[in-house]
Amino acid sequence: MAEEMVVKPDIEFIKRIQSAGGESLKKCFQCATCSVVCNLSPDSRPFPRKEMIWASWGLKDQLVRDPDIWLCHFCGDCTAYCPRGAKPGEVLGAVRQVAIEHYSTPTFLAEMVNDPKYLLFLIAFPLILIGAAIHYFGNFSPEGPVVYSKMLKPWPYVDFIFLGAAAYAVAVFAKGVMAYWQDLNVNPWKVRLKENVWLAVAEVVKDILFHNRFRKCTTYFNRSTSHLLVFLGFVGLFIVTAWASSYEWIFHKESPYAITDPIKWLAIPSAISLLWGIWLVIRDRQNPPENAGPGSYFDWLLIWVIAAVAVTGALCLVLRWMGLATLAYPTYYLHLVSVFFLFFYAPYTKMAHMVYRATAMIYAKLAERE
Amino acid sequence: MEKKIGFYVCKGCEIGQSLDIEGLLKVATKEGKIPVCKEHDVLCSPEGIKFLQDEIANEEINTLVIAACSPRVKFEEFDFPGCLIERVNLRELVVWSHEPNHEETQALAEDYVRMGCAKAKRAELPEPYAGDPIDKTVLVIGGGITGCSAALEVAKLGYSAVLVEKEAELGGYGAKLYRQTPRNYPYQVPEEPLIFSKIKEVQAHPKIKVMTSSKVESTEGQPGLYDVVINTNGNLETIKIGAIIMAAGWRPYDATKLGHLGYGLSPDVITNIQMEELANKGKILRPSDGREAKRVAFIQCAGSRDPEHLPYCSAFCCMTSLKQANYVRQLNDGLAYIIHKHMRTPGQYELFYKNMQNDPGVMLTKGDVTEVSLADNGNIYIHAENTQLGEKVKFEADLLVLATGMVPTTLDDPVTNLTYRQGLGLPDLDLYDGFADSNFICFQYETRRTGIYAAGCVRQPMDIATCMEDAAGAALKAVQCLEHTEKGIAVHPRSWDVTFPDPFMQRCTQCKRCTEECPFGAIDEDEKGTPYFKINRCRRCGTCMGACPERIISFKDLSVDIVGSMIKAMDVPEEGFRLLGVVCENDAYPALDAVGLHRLQYDPRIRFIPIRCLGSFNLVWIADALSRGIDGVLLLGCKFGEDYQCHFAKGSELANERMGKLQETLDRLALESERAMLVEVAIDDFDRIPKIIGDFIARVEEIGENPFKEF
Repeated sequence: MAEEMVVKPDIEFIKRIQSAGGESLKKCFQCATCSVVCNLSPDSRPFPRKEMIWASWGLKDQLVRDPDIWLCHFCGDCTAYCPRGAKPGEVLGAVRQVAIEHYSTPTFLAEMVNDPKYLLFLIAFPLILIGAAIHYFGNFSPEGPVVYSKMLKPWPYVDFIFLGAAAYAVAVFAKGVMAYWQDLNVNPWKVRLKENVWLAVAEVVKDILFHNRFRKCTTYFNRSTSHLLVFLGFVGLFIVTAWASSYEWIFHKESPYAITDPIKWLAIPSAISLLWGIWLVIRDRQNPPENAGPGSYFDWLLIWVIAAVAVTGALCLVLRWMGLATLAYPTYYLHLVSVFFLFFYAPYTKMAHMVYRATAMIYAKLAERE
Repeated sequence: MEKKIGFYVCKGCEIGQSLDIEGLLKVATKEGKIPVCKEHDVLCSPEGIKFLQDEIANEEINTLVIAACSPRVKFEEFDFPGCLIERVNLRELVVWSHEPNHEETQALAEDYVRMGCAKAKRAELPEPYAGDPIDKTVLVIGGGITGCSAALEVAKLGYSAVLVEKEAELGGYGAKLYRQTPRNYPYQVPEEPLIFSKIKEVQAHPKIKVMTSSKVESTEGQPGLYDVVINTNGNLETIKIGAIIMAAGWRPYDATKLGHLGYGLSPDVITNIQMEELANKGKILRPSDGREAKRVAFIQCAGSRDPEHLPYCSAFCCMTSLKQANYVRQLNDGLAYIIHKHMRTPGQYELFYKNMQNDPGVMLTKGDVTEVSLADNGNIYIHAENTQLGEKVKFEADLLVLATGMVPTTLDDPVTNLTYRQGLGLPDLDLYDGFADSNFICFQYETRRTGIYAAGCVRQPMDIATCMEDAAGAALKAVQCLEHTEKGIAVHPRSWDVTFPDPFMQRCTQCKRCTEECPFGAIDEDEKGTPYFKINRCRRCGTCMGACPERIISFKDLSVDIVGSMIKAMDVPEEGFRLLGVVCENDAYPALDAVGLHRLQYDPRIRFIPIRCLGSFNLVWIADALSRGIDGVLLLGCKFGEDYQCHFAKGSELANERMGKLQETLDRLALESERAMLVEVAIDDFDRIPKIIGDFIARVEEIGENPFKEF
């Protein structure tokens, strides 16, 4: 028998979930249709039925550490079939947002990221930081053919700023994931990290690479395709970045690279994949199937940031080829700003899902929760 | 009245094509000895009715044997004032359920003609009972929402009402509420209690006399002629009453029996009624320390739907707890936890349930409470298992409300205090856990005492809106009772019936079987022990007629003799089987009609005689039938026992008891008691009937032919 769970309702948590896109959560009357129609839910202690009542009772402690909220890929099946219009898919999305907030430091930054009234303030930070760097150490409108390194030198300026942002994000993630694992690894599925950890990691990586779980979705099947395109775009561009760093630091090869350079053979398809994927995301969210909503601010913030990164990046290339310096350099500036935004705020935005979901998926593998 | 009988056979609805009409006319003339025997193409057509009217006018016919369709249809067409009508059912019972133009079918039709003619000869034209002039005042017992509504309904119909309330003030539990559950669209917000405006209306109405601090001491007499003694603080007053509405209401289940749910553990464990009292003070403060209750838990079905306590659902507690959760939210800005078995919010109340559920501060879960314990800080822990939140959970609350159920006043208080021979209160209330209810959806307000109508929570657990509907229904039944009693006709369920039981007292042996068996307590005894009827209490079921061993109780159109003569009229062949069916006309006979309507076929060797109720079945008919050589007797009646469906509550059960004594009767004839059998059928059992008949005939065939045939 399980231990006695102490019920400590938190009405503020309920209101938080409701304001974060789960406003229908109280409509649930626990029929469990959601758990039945879900293709991803395990047979034992399935989700999202239990998450719905935990949310309704304001049981924040139960929910934020619950691995199941991350096993959900927001297929929308539950929302489409819910007879009460309680939208379990949306509610779990909102719970994930609160979970991300919960495990990120500092909390105030998380709250600002998820509140539209601070958006300009958040953008202002990289805008000023990078603008100042260009102003003091670079040149807003260099002469001659378009070479972006003339605007701000990769080393030390660009690298320093972006590696700093990435390091910050990694540190915040590390703290969050450690806390999360601590909370996660309790009964009823307590696991011990043994030699099979790496096997589990490998399986999860395979799962993620091919979106195997995500592709079990029915109502929102299209989302798995667009997400896969975005994901593969990011993977490709991550490799491109590492590759470019090796050019810069090891081979001392100056950018821009020619179209014949193999790095472009990866960079351009990756960029296209990202652009196409994010376009599909935006388009599909305009006409959500069944009862599903178009998404919350939390969702759209990440969508627009990724769109900004992809569009400014692609434009940089095109404008450089066209030799339009007056447009190319401001675009590059915006590109840097949007990439910084994506990196620096990653622990607080929906971007954080990649870390927590991966953690939960590894945990679920170890706990044989499938 | 000098009887002149006419026999008329209709040829419509396939009767003409399926039977030899000449043969039927010959039987009516030769064997039935009916002076005027005629046929017509369609008797129910305007021409046919004109034809019958001409017959009545020209031939001076005053008794008509109409051989056509079932007596259950075309009643108005074949209703000729001043004439006795006997209907022979050739359509449903013969041509629609048997092979056309078959020798056996013709024999069946001829037998029904013989039986109809025999009955027409013996029956007499009934006249309504002429009793003493009646009083038309309605007594309403109980001044709660039901009683006040009932008194108003009665008064609005133009009748006087006396409203008796045992407390010093009118209002009942409805007046103890802080708010009542919403009764109107959109069913979102609890309403101000409605009772206070009702009370004002009652007090202002000139036709209503209100008696508070009063109880019914005794009720003597019969509908229209009650003498009710009212005790007002020791002063006795006798009032003439015509009919009684019993709206005596309920009391909460005794919470001291709910120790397992924490009652008595702390003053902060209260009932839903106490919760209303707390809310009435404007803020919900804990009884123990006066602190504002911020987390209030509700345990649903506290002592209800529990075999150890009340086995039934009390109908109001789910809505009440949702309403009280609203108090917690509105008055205290607190949280409400509701732990339930199932939330039951029928009909439009679903909208209120949804509204309350949508409140972020109202939490619901299904669960079984295992223990209630006291925390060190004086708060209350509720331990539960099988919850939707998890297998085992613990809630901490400042205040715990037990949603206790309803106990009907009639459980241990006869209320009406009848001076009937059969007891002070209503009989058989244990079938309904003490509620003054009935098994019938169509006779909701009727009790087993004619003239007394139960309404509101004394009848069934219900909410305020239903109580008011109930009050209106019972008021109409009370008025119907007054009007029918005045006219000397039955009140219900035979509300058209002008006949009444008329005993031939010279032959009464004072055996008291009739007084014992009457389901409605209509028969009393005088000082010498001689039974006499209080006809206004009687429902004309004929149970007394079936019970009487001397066979002295008769109705104008039904008696032991009439049925006996019909049995005698049957043609019993010297070879082959012939069977008799005696059927209840409320359920079994309509089911037989439905067999015909559905064109199902059954064995043509059985003839059916409808009677008012199997309660009026007299064992002598079995002796009559078997001694004539009839091979078996099948009784079809309603379901009896706890879930009885008899229109007269006890009729089929009494018939079954009499069948237990059949052997005594048959020993004399040296016949097998298996030749008679009672089968319970319902009105919708038509599809079973051909098989019931077939099985019964097979059983009789196994026993063999009746040895009395040759005599």
